Amino acid sequence: MVQLRPRVSRTPASASAMVDEGQPASEEEAEHGLLLGQPSSGAAAEPLQDDEEGDSEFDEDEAPEELTFASAQAEAREEERRVRETVRRDKALLKEKRKRREELFIEQKKRKLLPDTVLEKLTTAPQTTIKKSPGKLKEVILQKKNEECEKGSDSKKTKEKVQKVQSVGHNKSYLAVRLKDQDLRDSRQEAAKAFIQNCLYGPGTNRTTVNKFLSLDNKRLPVKKAAAQFLNNAWGTQRKQNAKRFKRRWMVRRMKTSKK
Amino acid sequence: MGEFKVHRVRFFNYVPSGIRCVAYNNQSNRLAVSRTDGTVEIYNLSANYFQEKFFPGHESRATEALCWAKGQRLFSAGLNGEIIEYDLQALNIKYAMDAFGGPIWSMAASPSGSQLLAGCEDGSVKLFQITPDKIQFERNFDRQKSRILSLSWRPSGTHIAAGSIDYISVFDVKSGSAIHKMLVDRQYMGVSKRKCIIWGVAFLSDGTVISVDSAGKVQFWDSATGTLVKNHLVANADVQSIAVSDQEDSFVVGTAEGTVFHFQLVSVTSNSSEKQWVRTKPFQHHTHDVRAVAHSPTALISGGTDTHLVIRPLMEKVEVKNYDAALRKITFPHRRLISCSKKKQLLLFQFAHHLELWQLGSTVATGKNGDTLPLSKDADHLLHLKTKGPENIICSCISPCGSWIAYSTASRFFLYRLSYERDNISLQRVSKMPAFLRSALQILFSEDSAKLFVASNQGSLHIIRLLEGSFKHLHTFQPQSGTVESMCLLAVSPDGNWLAASGTSAGVHVYNVKNLKLHCTVPAYNFPVTALAIAPSTNNLVIAHSDQQVFEYSIPDKQYTEWSRTIQKQGFHHLWLQRDTPITHISFHLKRPMHILLHDAYMFCIIDKSLPLPNDKTLLYNPLPPKNESDVIRRRTAHAFKISKIYKISLSTVSRFPRTT
Repeated sequence: MVQLRPRVSRTPASASAMVDEGQPASEEEAEHGLLLGQPSSGAAAEPLQDDEEGDSEFDEDEAPEELTFASAQAEAREEERRVRETVRRDKALLKEKRKRREELFIEQKKRKLLPDTVLEKLTTAPQTTIKKSPGKLKEVILQKKNEECEKGSDSKKTKEKVQKVQSVGHNKSYLAVRLKDQDLRDSRQEAAKAFIQNCLYGPGTNRTTVNKFLSLDNKRLPVKKAAAQFLNNAWGTQRKQNAKRFKRRWMVRRMKTSKK
Repeated sequence: MGEFKVHRVRFFNYVPSGIRCVAYNNQSNRLAVSRTDGTVEIYNLSANYFQEKFFPGHESRATEALCWAKGQRLFSAGLNGEIIEYDLQALNIKYAMDAFGGPIWSMAASPSGSQLLAGCEDGSVKLFQITPDKIQFERNFDRQKSRILSLSWRPSGTHIAAGSIDYISVFDVKSGSAIHKMLVDRQYMGVSKRKCIIWGVAFLSDGTVISVDSAGKVQFWDSATGTLVKNHLVANADVQSIAVSDQEDSFVVGTAEGTVFHFQLVSVTSNSSEKQWVRTKPFQHHTHDVRAVAHSPTALISGGTDTHLVIRPLMEKVEVKNYDAALRKITFPHRRLISCSKKKQLLLFQFAHHLELWQLGSTVATGKNGDTLPLSKDADHLLHLKTKGPENIICSCISPCGSWIAYSTASRFFLYRLSYERDNISLQRVSKMPAFLRSALQILFSEDSAKLFVASNQGSLHIIRLLEGSFKHLHTFQPQSGTVESMCLLAVSPDGNWLAASGTSAGVHVYNVKNLKLHCTVPAYNFPVTALAIAPSTNNLVIAHSDQQVFEYSIPDKQYTEWSRTIQKQGFHHLWLQRDTPITHISFHLKRPMHILLHDAYMFCIIDKSLPLPNDKTLLYNPLPPKNESDVIRRRTAHAFKISKIYKISLSTVSRFPRTT
């Protein structure tokens, strides 16, 4: 039996005709359509011809085989069922993925909110006021926690940071920030620096690294030399870290034994 | 056995920062140089190109423009959007005014010196009026579409040229409106995708506008009609800076390839009156981008990313053709960045944002003169101390006993106590330093490490007594007669009685530390002091000036010593006076009071006061005579200055460790 290569992209009409159950009569036509519905352009026609030739290598002299209606119908039905299954599976997978994502978001949101105890304390004690800055919410939470933990000890640092505030209401539609607390980075200044960097060192400037420059020189000499290789400080970072950790532990052990 | 053991320290990784802007002041012949880390240095070009003042840098200050205004006032503007005025007497920042236009890319002072223009990121050109104590915003000119990267005033003060991206605008100052908008080709006779950035413009008094851009072109425009007159393609890369001389007959441009081109106005034929601009000389003194150039009446000044400041006198403008007309390349700092603790053999290196403490290596081998001895114990990196905050470190010092480290930034003073137990080192900060100690220009510990001397930039000298974990403020010497003269250099005598302090102009003051009174003042000399030291037993103050003169002043007698008078009468050797780099440190031999040790960046010299002085005919750099020469010849050629140039590029201090034999 000749294997039919699925040619969905070129003959979309025939593919949909295949899937459509309400036209069993045209199945055979569809099959033939797949065979005959090749574009007449030579480039596309050739591979099919090659394929056919390759397939029919073994039965060149024989006549093409007869296909019974029943078997062809059964086959078509199989195909169509398979396609339906895959579509269903894809939809199910997508649904799963979306569900999981939603759950993840909900969890993250829950995590971001302050723990209940702290929220209670904040709403009941409007005197304590902390100025929040965007993105530094977690630090503020930590500070509050620290304050609660070390109730007895005076940690001056946290007290200094705790400044005048606004009460944290339920509607967080605005946020008052002190300009001094902001990072020294300004977005416009960053953009300006990026502009200069792009002008002088970005793509399109004829600049190269010293390594490449010297290596090219070496390769252009009448007697070719090896490319220049500079010291690679990123080599063996894991080894160096391990060594550092070992040294620290050894020092501690040494201190302990020497103290005894 | 050689007389000294010399430790060659090669682990000081000092990397200077690149030069971003350069501004020349004609009246005082001074050059202001601003670097990429925010430091601003002032060089006195008539005092042998010595760096006399500097303002420490700040991380957020990315200076893009520097200019002088009327009355020796220095302004700078940067990408943080602020215009900063520097106080040259008190060596601090007077004020920083926000221009409210976003990052400022360019600034220019009017020819009369009373107005200031700032070109901003949002395309606006802002005019400021310079009042006696501040600057005041006057008005905005017509706003342009893209950022204003370069500005230039017409010498008559009526028009302004502003270079932007892909075009140049000419404004009328009175109305503030743009008269012409001259479009610049992106590439020389071609098309290009990259935008053409006009890095510099210059407006001449006849209405010609010269522009340099990122395509490597130097173009001449006529501002009356707004058309291109002439086009010169000088480089394959950006041409980044331009400076015109005052007579407007020559200008200099700097390119990204490190080349500096000199253009001159020459007549077309030898006796015609018609003149044209011709590219005359190329100079390749830099290896990287030349981002700033300046034109003084006699020299071309250039500075760039490779951190050298090159001053090239022009032969035709220099009157006397002597050694002064040679090329000057200022590479190394003119002040000390290393301090040393003699007892514990420690070195403290000062960088912009951190300090490093190293223990010198030691050797047990012995050898002959000139031998290299192998180390038995390597140099050890003991401490890496990072400073908090965005400001650079101004000065630092370690006490001779090695247990105190002090350093100062522009807003804070830090004092640390070090303790060494067995092989460990621990650091403890002394908190609650008084506010008057901050922004110190020089810090010095006394020899017994009990007192700390701090010279602040307001001109006062503070003496602090150091106790076991704290300190006590002893005394403050106020500046004389109301002048705010910042004290830049300090020296203390080894017996702890005398303290010498020098400012930038007013002579060297000597204070009596025991009585807390001013003892005497060495007469002022017209060149700034580069190094100071007090000898151990004789209490002679040795002063080195930037014109390579060395004076010796006896503190107890309050007059110059005999040796000093003799050498001043005879004069120094001409090769000694022609040295490029200033003497940065003076030290003494403990057992030989007749020896003075001093060094500059390229040589190390021992002056033996007992030997005769060299005159101009003798060889200054004489190596050791061979042993088989007769004694007579050896005595004839030997003179007081024994100079060694083997240890080149020395930034280090020279100190004499007690010999342990």
